[in-house]
Amino acid sequence: MVQHFSTNCCQTNRMNDSELIGQILNGNMNAFTFLVNRYQKLVVHITGRLIQRQDELEDVCQDVFLKVYQNLGKYRNECKLSTWIATIAYNTSINYLRKFKKGDEVNPDDSTAFRNLTEYKSNDFEKTDLHRYIRDQIELLPVQYRTVLTLFHLEEFSYQEIEQITGMPEGTIKSYLFRAKALLKEKLKFVVDGNSLNAVKEISHE
Amino acid sequence: MNKEELDKIIEKSFRTEFDFQLPVDFAKKVTSQVIRREQWKTDLREYLYLIGVLLSLLVVVLGFYYFVDKVFVFKAFTFLSENIIPVVSIIFILNFIFFADKVLLRLLFSRWNKT
Repeated sequence: MVQHFSTNCCQTNRMNDSELIGQILNGNMNAFTFLVNRYQKLVVHITGRLIQRQDELEDVCQDVFLKVYQNLGKYRNECKLSTWIATIAYNTSINYLRKFKKGDEVNPDDSTAFRNLTEYKSNDFEKTDLHRYIRDQIELLPVQYRTVLTLFHLEEFSYQEIEQITGMPEGTIKSYLFRAKALLKEKLKFVVDGNSLNAVKEISHE
Repeated sequence: MNKEELDKIIEKSFRTEFDFQLPVDFAKKVTSQVIRREQWKTDLREYLYLIGVLLSLLVVVLGFYYFVDKVFVFKAFTFLSENIIPVVSIIFILNFIFFADKVLLRLLFSRWNKT
Protein backbone atom coordinates (compact mmCIF):
# COMPACT_ATOMS: atom_id res chain seq x y z
CA MET A 1 0.00 0.00 0.00
CA VAL A 2 1.32 3.41 -0.87
CA GLN A 3 2.31 5.76 1.89
CA HIS A 4 1.58 9.33 0.94
CA PHE A 5 3.73 11.78 2.85
CA SER A 6 5.59 10.03 5.63
CA THR A 7 8.88 11.90 5.16
CA ASN A 8 8.99 15.65 5.06
CA CYS A 9 10.42 17.62 2.13
CA CYS A 10 13.61 18.74 3.90
CA GLN A 11 14.56 15.15 4.70
CA THR A 12 13.87 14.11 1.11
CA ASN A 13 15.98 16.97 -0.28
CA ARG A 14 19.07 15.70 1.53
CA MET A 15 18.66 12.08 0.38
CA ASN A 16 21.05 10.49 -2.08
CA ASP A 17 19.74 8.25 -4.86
CA SER A 18 19.95 4.93 -3.01
CA GLU A 19 18.19 6.34 0.07
CA LEU A 20 15.55 7.81 -2.21
CA ILE A 21 15.00 4.45 -3.92
CA GLY A 22 14.75 2.76 -0.51
CA GLN A 23 12.09 5.25 0.58
CA ILE A 24 10.11 4.80 -2.66
CA LEU A 25 10.23 1.01 -2.39
CA ASN A 26 8.90 1.38 1.16
CA GLY A 27 5.91 3.22 -0.30
CA ASN A 28 6.91 6.83 0.38
CA MET A 29 5.29 8.72 -2.50
CA ASN A 30 6.79 12.02 -1.37
CA ALA A 31 10.18 10.52 -2.19
CA PHE A 32 8.90 9.56 -5.63
CA THR A 33 7.69 13.13 -6.27
CA PHE A 34 11.17 14.29 -5.31
CA LEU A 35 12.77 11.77 -7.68
CA VAL A 36 10.56 13.03 -10.53
CA ASN A 37 11.54 16.62 -9.74
CA ARG A 38 15.22 15.67 -9.60
CA TYR A 39 15.27 13.85 -12.95
CA GLN A 40 12.53 15.49 -14.99
CA LYS A 41 14.98 17.82 -16.72
CA LEU A 42 17.08 14.87 -17.88
CA VAL A 43 13.98 13.10 -19.19
CA VAL A 44 12.72 16.25 -20.94
CA HIS A 45 16.09 16.75 -22.63
CA ILE A 46 16.12 13.23 -24.03
CA THR A 47 12.45 12.85 -24.97
CA GLY A 48 12.15 16.46 -26.17
CA ARG A 49 15.14 16.12 -28.51
CA LEU A 50 13.85 12.83 -29.84
CA ILE A 51 10.12 13.37 -30.29
CA GLN A 52 10.28 17.17 -30.82
CA ARG A 53 6.62 17.83 -30.01
CA GLN A 54 5.58 19.84 -27.00
CA ASP A 55 1.99 18.50 -27.08
CA GLU A 56 3.17 14.88 -26.79
CA LEU A 57 6.09 15.53 -24.49
CA GLU A 58 4.14 15.39 -21.22
CA ASP A 59 2.54 12.04 -22.04
CA VAL A 60 5.84 10.45 -23.03
CA CYS A 61 7.62 11.83 -19.93
CA GLN A 62 4.77 10.55 -17.76
CA ASP A 63 5.15 7.15 -19.38
CA VAL A 64 8.89 7.21 -18.65
CA PHE A 65 8.37 7.90 -14.94
CA LEU A 66 5.62 5.26 -14.67
CA LYS A 67 8.12 2.75 -16.08
CA VAL A 68 10.74 4.04 -13.63
CA TYR A 69 8.34 3.42 -10.73
CA GLN A 70 7.29 -0.02 -11.98
CA ASN A 71 10.89 -1.17 -12.51
CA LEU A 72 12.56 0.52 -9.55
CA GLY A 73 12.71 -2.78 -7.69
CA LYS A 74 14.85 -4.19 -10.52
CA TYR A 75 17.44 -1.37 -10.32
CA ARG A 76 20.68 -2.93 -9.07
CA ASN A 77 23.14 -0.02 -8.62
CA GLU A 78 25.22 -1.34 -11.54
CA CYS A 79 25.10 2.11 -13.09
CA LYS A 80 24.15 5.60 -11.92
CA LEU A 81 20.43 6.18 -11.42
CA SER A 82 20.59 8.99 -13.99
CA THR A 83 22.01 6.57 -16.57
CA TRP A 84 19.29 4.04 -15.78
CA ILE A 85 16.52 6.64 -16.07
CA ALA A 86 18.08 8.01 -19.27
CA THR A 87 18.03 4.48 -20.73
CA ILE A 88 14.31 4.18 -19.99
CA ALA A 89 13.68 7.65 -21.46
CA TYR A 90 15.68 6.81 -24.60
CA ASN A 91 13.97 3.44 -25.16
CA THR A 92 10.50 4.89 -24.53
CA SER A 93 11.13 7.76 -26.97
CA ILE A 94 12.58 5.49 -29.66
CA ASN A 95 9.62 3.12 -29.34
CA TYR A 96 7.29 6.10 -29.56
CA LEU A 97 9.04 7.30 -32.74
CA ARG A 98 8.89 3.83 -34.29
CA LYS A 99 5.21 3.56 -33.46
CA PHE A 100 3.98 7.00 -34.49
CA LYS A 101 6.50 8.47 -36.90
CA LYS A 102 8.09 7.58 -40.20
CA GLY A 103 10.63 4.75 -40.19
CA ASP A 104 13.38 6.84 -41.78
CA GLU A 105 13.40 9.07 -38.69
CA VAL A 106 15.37 6.41 -36.84
CA ASN A 107 17.88 5.67 -39.61
CA PRO A 108 20.65 8.25 -39.89
CA ASP A 109 21.63 9.23 -43.40
CA ASP A 110 24.09 12.08 -43.87
CA SER A 111 23.00 13.07 -47.35
CA THR A 112 19.32 13.32 -46.34
CA ALA A 113 20.29 15.11 -43.15
CA PHE A 114 22.41 17.54 -45.13
CA ARG A 115 19.51 18.30 -47.47
CA ASN A 116 17.21 18.85 -44.47
CA LEU A 117 19.44 21.52 -42.97
CA THR A 118 18.78 25.02 -44.21
CA GLU A 119 21.41 27.38 -45.51
CA TYR A 120 22.46 30.23 -43.24
CA LYS A 121 21.72 33.35 -45.23
CA SER A 122 21.81 36.21 -42.77
CA ASN A 123 23.82 39.07 -44.22
CA ASP A 124 23.84 41.24 -41.14
CA PHE A 125 25.50 38.49 -39.20
CA GLU A 126 25.11 38.46 -35.41
CA LYS A 127 26.32 35.85 -32.93
CA THR A 128 22.89 35.53 -31.32
CA ASP A 129 21.31 34.87 -34.73
CA LEU A 130 23.89 32.23 -35.47
CA HIS A 131 23.35 30.66 -32.06
CA ARG A 132 19.58 30.44 -32.67
CA TYR A 133 20.18 29.14 -36.18
CA ILE A 134 22.47 26.33 -34.92
CA ARG A 135 19.91 25.32 -32.30
CA ASP A 136 17.21 25.11 -34.97
CA GLN A 137 19.50 23.05 -37.19
CA ILE A 138 20.23 20.58 -34.37
CA GLU A 139 16.51 19.78 -34.36
CA LEU A 140 16.76 18.89 -38.08
CA LEU A 141 19.57 16.37 -37.59
CA PRO A 142 18.82 12.60 -37.60
CA VAL A 143 17.55 11.25 -34.32
CA GLN A 144 20.79 9.41 -33.36
CA TYR A 145 22.84 12.56 -33.86
CA ARG A 146 20.44 14.58 -31.73
CA THR A 147 20.51 11.90 -29.04
CA VAL A 148 24.28 11.68 -28.71
CA LEU A 149 24.64 15.47 -28.88
CA THR A 150 22.14 15.89 -26.04
CA LEU A 151 23.58 13.13 -23.88
CA PHE A 152 27.20 14.19 -24.40
CA HIS A 153 27.02 17.97 -24.41
CA LEU A 154 23.86 18.84 -22.47
CA GLU A 155 23.78 16.04 -19.91
CA GLU A 156 27.54 15.47 -19.88
CA PHE A 157 27.39 11.68 -19.92
CA SER A 158 30.61 9.83 -20.74
CA TYR A 159 30.99 7.72 -23.90
CA GLN A 160 30.58 4.55 -21.79
CA GLU A 161 27.38 5.87 -20.24
CA ILE A 162 25.99 6.85 -23.65
CA GLU A 163 26.86 3.34 -24.83
CA GLN A 164 24.85 1.91 -21.91
CA ILE A 165 21.91 4.22 -22.60
CA THR A 166 21.63 3.86 -26.36
CA GLY A 167 23.33 0.52 -27.01
CA MET A 168 25.50 2.18 -29.69
CA PRO A 169 29.21 1.23 -29.75
CA GLU A 170 31.63 3.89 -28.51
CA GLY A 171 33.10 4.36 -31.99
CA THR A 172 29.66 5.05 -33.46
CA ILE A 173 28.93 7.60 -30.74
CA LYS A 174 32.18 9.44 -31.46
CA SER A 175 31.49 9.29 -35.17
CA TYR A 176 27.95 10.68 -34.72
CA LEU A 177 29.26 13.52 -32.56
CA PHE A 178 31.86 14.39 -35.17
CA ARG A 179 29.49 14.08 -38.12
CA ALA A 180 26.80 16.18 -36.45
CA LYS A 181 29.29 18.95 -35.85
CA ALA A 182 30.69 18.59 -39.37
CA LEU A 183 27.22 18.79 -40.94
CA LEU A 184 26.45 21.96 -39.04
CA LYS A 185 29.78 23.47 -40.03
CA GLU A 186 29.16 22.66 -43.67
CA LYS A 187 25.98 24.72 -43.50
CA LEU A 188 27.97 27.54 -42.01
CA LYS A 189 30.56 27.39 -44.74
CA PHE A 190 30.85 31.12 -45.15
CA VAL A 191 32.50 31.26 -41.73
CA VAL A 192 34.37 27.95 -41.89
CA ASP A 193 37.74 27.61 -43.53
CA GLY A 194 38.54 25.33 -46.46
CA ASN A 195 40.05 22.46 -44.42
CA SER A 196 36.86 21.87 -42.46
CA LEU A 197 34.86 21.88 -45.66
CA ASN A 198 37.07 19.16 -47.11
CA ALA A 199 36.62 17.09 -43.95
CA VAL A 200 32.86 17.34 -44.28
CA LYS A 201 32.98 16.36 -47.93
CA GLU A 202 35.08 13.30 -47.08
CA ILE A 203 32.51 12.20 -44.49
CA SER A 204 29.63 12.70 -46.91
CA HIS A 205 31.32 10.47 -49.49
CA GLU A 206 31.84 7.58 -47.00
CA MET B 1 34.93 34.88 -37.57
CA ASN B 2 37.72 32.34 -37.06
CA LYS B 3 37.32 28.58 -36.70
CA GLU B 4 37.86 28.51 -32.91
CA GLU B 5 35.23 31.13 -32.37
CA LEU B 6 32.76 29.17 -34.50
CA ASP B 7 33.60 25.97 -32.61
CA LYS B 8 32.85 27.75 -29.36
CA ILE B 9 29.48 28.97 -30.64
CA ILE B 10 28.55 25.50 -31.86
CA GLU B 11 29.61 23.90 -28.54
CA LYS B 12 27.62 26.53 -26.65
CA SER B 13 24.56 25.84 -28.81
CA PHE B 14 24.88 22.14 -27.99
CA ARG B 15 24.87 22.98 -24.29
CA THR B 16 21.94 25.38 -24.43
CA GLU B 17 18.64 24.27 -22.91
CA PHE B 18 15.88 24.01 -25.49
CA ASP B 19 12.34 25.36 -25.42
CA PHE B 20 10.40 22.21 -24.46
CA GLN B 21 9.05 22.36 -20.93
CA LEU B 22 6.83 20.39 -18.60
CA PRO B 23 4.07 21.89 -16.43
CA VAL B 24 5.14 23.09 -12.98
CA ASP B 25 3.00 20.45 -11.27
CA PHE B 26 4.29 17.59 -13.46
CA ALA B 27 5.86 15.64 -10.57
CA LYS B 28 2.63 15.82 -8.54
CA LYS B 29 0.60 14.68 -11.56
CA VAL B 30 2.88 11.68 -12.13
CA THR B 31 2.76 10.77 -8.44
CA SER B 32 -1.05 10.98 -8.42
CA GLN B 33 -1.17 8.73 -11.46
CA VAL B 34 1.14 6.21 -9.80
CA ILE B 35 -1.01 6.29 -6.65
CA ARG B 36 -4.17 5.71 -8.73
CA ARG B 37 -2.57 2.80 -10.57
CA GLU B 38 -1.33 1.21 -7.38
CA GLN B 39 -4.77 1.71 -5.79
CA TRP B 40 -6.43 0.07 -8.82
CA LYS B 41 -4.06 -2.89 -8.59
CA THR B 42 -4.67 -3.24 -4.83
CA ASP B 43 -8.46 -3.00 -5.30
CA LEU B 44 -8.45 -5.59 -8.08
CA ARG B 45 -6.24 -7.93 -6.05
CA GLU B 46 -8.55 -7.50 -3.04
CA TYR B 47 -11.62 -8.23 -5.17
CA LEU B 48 -10.09 -11.37 -6.69
CA TYR B 49 -8.97 -12.49 -3.23
CA LEU B 50 -12.50 -12.09 -1.82
CA ILE B 51 -14.04 -13.90 -4.80
CA GLY B 52 -11.54 -16.72 -4.21
CA VAL B 53 -12.45 -16.87 -0.50
CA LEU B 54 -16.20 -16.93 -1.29
CA LEU B 55 -15.79 -19.71 -3.88
CA SER B 56 -13.61 -21.71 -1.50
CA LEU B 57 -16.24 -21.34 1.25
CA LEU B 58 -18.94 -22.49 -1.15
CA VAL B 59 -16.93 -25.56 -2.10
CA VAL B 60 -16.27 -26.38 1.59
CA VAL B 61 -19.96 -26.01 2.50
CA LEU B 62 -21.03 -28.14 -0.48
CA GLY B 63 -18.41 -30.75 0.39
CA PHE B 64 -19.63 -30.80 3.98
CA TYR B 65 -23.28 -31.18 2.92
CA TYR B 66 -22.30 -33.89 0.42
CA PHE B 67 -21.21 -36.10 3.31
CA VAL B 68 -24.05 -35.08 5.64
CA ASP B 69 -26.98 -34.91 3.23
CA LYS B 70 -26.27 -36.08 -0.32
CA VAL B 71 -29.94 -35.77 -1.35
CA PHE B 72 -30.00 -32.07 -0.49
CA VAL B 73 -26.90 -31.41 -2.62
CA PHE B 74 -28.39 -33.27 -5.59
CA LYS B 75 -31.68 -31.39 -5.16
CA ALA B 76 -29.77 -28.11 -5.09
CA PHE B 77 -27.87 -29.00 -8.28
CA THR B 78 -31.10 -30.06 -10.00
CA PHE B 79 -32.75 -26.78 -9.00
CA LEU B 80 -29.76 -24.77 -10.30
CA SER B 81 -29.61 -26.63 -13.61
CA GLU B 82 -33.37 -26.26 -14.14
CA ASN B 83 -33.18 -22.50 -13.50
CA ILE B 84 -29.87 -21.85 -15.13
CA ILE B 85 -30.75 -18.47 -16.72
CA PRO B 86 -32.11 -16.75 -13.56
CA VAL B 87 -29.31 -18.27 -11.46
CA VAL B 88 -26.59 -17.07 -13.82
CA SER B 89 -28.27 -13.63 -14.03
CA ILE B 90 -28.42 -13.30 -10.23
CA ILE B 91 -24.79 -14.40 -9.86
CA PHE B 92 -23.77 -11.96 -12.59
CA ILE B 93 -25.66 -9.04 -10.96
CA LEU B 94 -24.33 -9.82 -7.47
CA ASN B 95 -20.81 -10.14 -8.84
CA PHE B 96 -21.15 -6.85 -10.73
CA ILE B 97 -22.39 -5.04 -7.59
CA PHE B 98 -19.48 -6.51 -5.64
CA PHE B 99 -17.00 -5.54 -8.40
CA ALA B 100 -18.47 -2.04 -8.64
CA ASP B 101 -18.22 -1.58 -4.88
CA LYS B 102 -14.68 -2.89 -4.54
CA VAL B 103 -13.04 -1.69 -7.76
CA LEU B 104 -15.08 0.27 -10.29
CA LEU B 105 -16.53 3.04 -8.10
CA ARG B 106 -13.19 3.68 -6.40
CA LEU B 107 -11.54 4.01 -9.81
CA LEU B 108 -14.25 6.35 -11.10
CA PHE B 109 -14.13 8.51 -7.96
CA SER B 110 -10.36 8.84 -8.22
CA ARG B 111 -10.72 9.89 -11.89
CA TRP B 112 -13.40 12.45 -11.00
CA ASN B 113 -11.19 13.82 -8.25
CA LYS B 114 -8.38 14.17 -10.80
CA THR B 115 -10.56 16.28 -13.12
